[in-house]
Amino acid sequence: MTASTLPNSSSADPFHEFYGAPSLPRPHYALLWDNMQSAGLDNLTAKAREAHLALHAEGVTFTVYSDKEEGIERVWPFDIIPRIIPGAEWDLLSSGLKQRVKALNLFLRDLYHDQKILKDGVVPADLIHEGKDFRREIIGIDPPGGIYTHISGVDLIRDGHGKYMVLEDNLRTPSGVSYMIENRMIERRVLPEFFSRYKVRRMEHYPALLLQALRRLSPRGPGEAVIVMLTPGIYNSAYFEHTFLAKEMGVELAEGRDLLVSNDRVYLKTTLGLKQVDVIYRRVDDDFLDPLCFRSDSLVGVAGLINAWRAGHVALVNAPGGGIADDKAVYAYVPDIIRYYLSEEPIIGNVPTYLMSRPDEREKVLDQLERMVVKVVNESGGYGMLMGPSSTAAERAEFKKKILAKPRDFIAQPVIPLSQHLCYLDNELQSRHLDLRPFIIYGEEIEVVPGGLTRVAFRKGSLVVNSSQGGGSKDTWVVESVT
Amino acid sequence: MMLSRMADALYWMARYLERAYNTSRLIEINLLHMVEAEEASFGAAQWRPILSIMGSEGLFSQLGPHRAIDKDTTVQFLTQERRHPGSILQCIQSARENARVVRDRISKEMWECINQMWLAVDKTLKKPLRSDQAPAFYYEVQNRVARFHGLTQDTMMRGEAYGFYRLGTHLERADMTVRTLDVKYHILLPTVEMVGSALDYYQWAALLKSLSGFEAYRRHYPGGLRPVDVSEFILLSPVYPRSLRFSVERLGGALTHIGFESPETRTCQAYRALRGDIEKSTAESIFKQGLHEYLQDRLLQIAALHSALQTDCFEAHLGERVAVSDRA
Repeated sequence: MTASTLPNSSSADPFHEFYGAPSLPRPHYALLWDNMQSAGLDNLTAKAREAHLALHAEGVTFTVYSDKEEGIERVWPFDIIPRIIPGAEWDLLSSGLKQRVKALNLFLRDLYHDQKILKDGVVPADLIHEGKDFRREIIGIDPPGGIYTHISGVDLIRDGHGKYMVLEDNLRTPSGVSYMIENRMIERRVLPEFFSRYKVRRMEHYPALLLQALRRLSPRGPGEAVIVMLTPGIYNSAYFEHTFLAKEMGVELAEGRDLLVSNDRVYLKTTLGLKQVDVIYRRVDDDFLDPLCFRSDSLVGVAGLINAWRAGHVALVNAPGGGIADDKAVYAYVPDIIRYYLSEEPIIGNVPTYLMSRPDEREKVLDQLERMVVKVVNESGGYGMLMGPSSTAAERAEFKKKILAKPRDFIAQPVIPLSQHLCYLDNELQSRHLDLRPFIIYGEEIEVVPGGLTRVAFRKGSLVVNSSQGGGSKDTWVVESVT
Repeated sequence: MMLSRMADALYWMARYLERAYNTSRLIEINLLHMVEAEEASFGAAQWRPILSIMGSEGLFSQLGPHRAIDKDTTVQFLTQERRHPGSILQCIQSARENARVVRDRISKEMWECINQMWLAVDKTLKKPLRSDQAPAFYYEVQNRVARFHGLTQDTMMRGEAYGFYRLGTHLERADMTVRTLDVKYHILLPTVEMVGSALDYYQWAALLKSLSGFEAYRRHYPGGLRPVDVSEFILLSPVYPRSLRFSVERLGGALTHIGFESPETRTCQAYRALRGDIEKSTAESIFKQGLHEYLQDRLLQIAALHSALQTDCFEAHLGERVAVSDRA
């Protein structure tokens, strides 16, 4: 699609997930709605309060970075009204996600080996070689099972007609799964009566699935595998999640300084001396993973780690180098990547995306920046993004300059009016925009736990759902029964 | 086997909590004592010893070079001075930060308790603590720490992590008990024969109360408050749970939990020296040597045990035991 045929999405009405018509809930929300009506708003207020107190006491937090203060810890914002997805609708999404992750892994394997897809001209070679996250250091290395992204988080949104689309693939160190599980624990506490009636599918076994996937990667066999979770430390925004997963899986939570590499083997510094490590679930970005291989100023990495991985003595999860596949310019090619490797049509489509490296698309986008979302290709968490409709002329001018200076670093997308849902905020029922991040584990097979993390833009009218930018969340129910 | 850094964090989490508890208790009793003993001085004479127990006289004068040592300045400094790492506020913050590091090693109940403790204390101490709030505040701190220990007893696995928590708790407690007694020594200069005056009575009673041992002492020693008896009770009682001896015996159990029973480790050698000397001691032998000298020797032994732990556990990978353990 070119910019001239760009749909004027910003003026279209968003899809409402809860209401089918004004004040009339969709069939799968009727049971919940009737109960909310008969119990009254006071009851919701009490439940919302109970949920907040529980999150506060449990210390379910995330850390926000700002220019003024470093690392403010905030309580995870949660809305008690669940998002409900009928089972059949979910099953289709689930197969679409598996298809996508399978193709992306074949793509990565190809990129770091024969590069057939580049030779066949399906994806431009320049796009890959100019990508910041393409790691020449790992060309030719075979990660166990040929898998690069053992854990993926794919962001889904719905357009004005309710059609699901992929907004972003997160293939590096996607976070949010602990909040998905915490949301469920809180929700079951405050709305216990609905779980059996709706037959909500369970997903709290995620850590067990993950542990299984990690264990099978152990170079010394899965039996006695020593697995550690590598965190950048307590000031990382997702530190809560790191402790959560380490605890749920019963593995050590290590920082870079807890590990050392000797003779291409990785060791843990313990109270009994050194202990060899087999699998590292790392939540440290490629850049900071190994100061000998990537950024030499990294304080959170482990010197020599990449060599140990290359020698096959330790498994890294996700494997280094996967970031090139979630580069937002490469994203535009994912439907073609799926067709190329799997000879299938994509089950879930993409959001129309304009590459600023293409002169014709760039020109058209620059003419209508106020209607576009501009993103930096290798940022995540909503940082470094321009929301056209709410931007000032000065901000647009600044972005224009940046785009012209480094076109490869930017993409633009039309503003999709994310679907809305009912929230209970400030003791009132209000509609807010949201998205969905399901989590996909690539172990022996590809598995998707039902649902995912529903992220909500709590600010009225806002389309930005990232928790670092004022977003909150809801529990997501994939249900068998809707009556 | 556990991560050295985790072991260190568990140990310090416990030490900081114990320090917060002891500081709180010392301030509370000193404030009460002021009310009980009217003739007592309200100024430096009553408050300097507390600074000295905490080893923070230097920092106190550094932060306010011309500041008088009186009730308000000392209480503020010990309770909520953010630049004083030993203030109750900073201790609880450090304990909570350490707990956050070992969140996957402690029970959910323990984490919630320490997190709520921090939230509550931080909220109260956003403003200067008013004197009318003080009793309730110190009571609350002690209560919350006690609750943490209770939850720990009931919910924590009895493994290595528990061992490091116990080491931190009892090492800090032993250290504080010795320091508290030593400072009173300087004020009262007791001898074996001495029978306290009225003022001394209040001083010794306050000492026992700040170690939560007044009532237990009265039941044990019907003869009244004799310095030699009080010292014996605080140092050597096998049943009073804050006595030096009791804490040191608990340290032995903690060493078993972390698997440090083998006699050749530095930690075990340091421990045996401390425990052996306490077991040989009697009230008479202590006063014969000189109470102050005796206490100083014990403080040195406690410090030696701490640094042995540092070498054997928290920095084990630097030592000669860098054998590749390979159970797989």
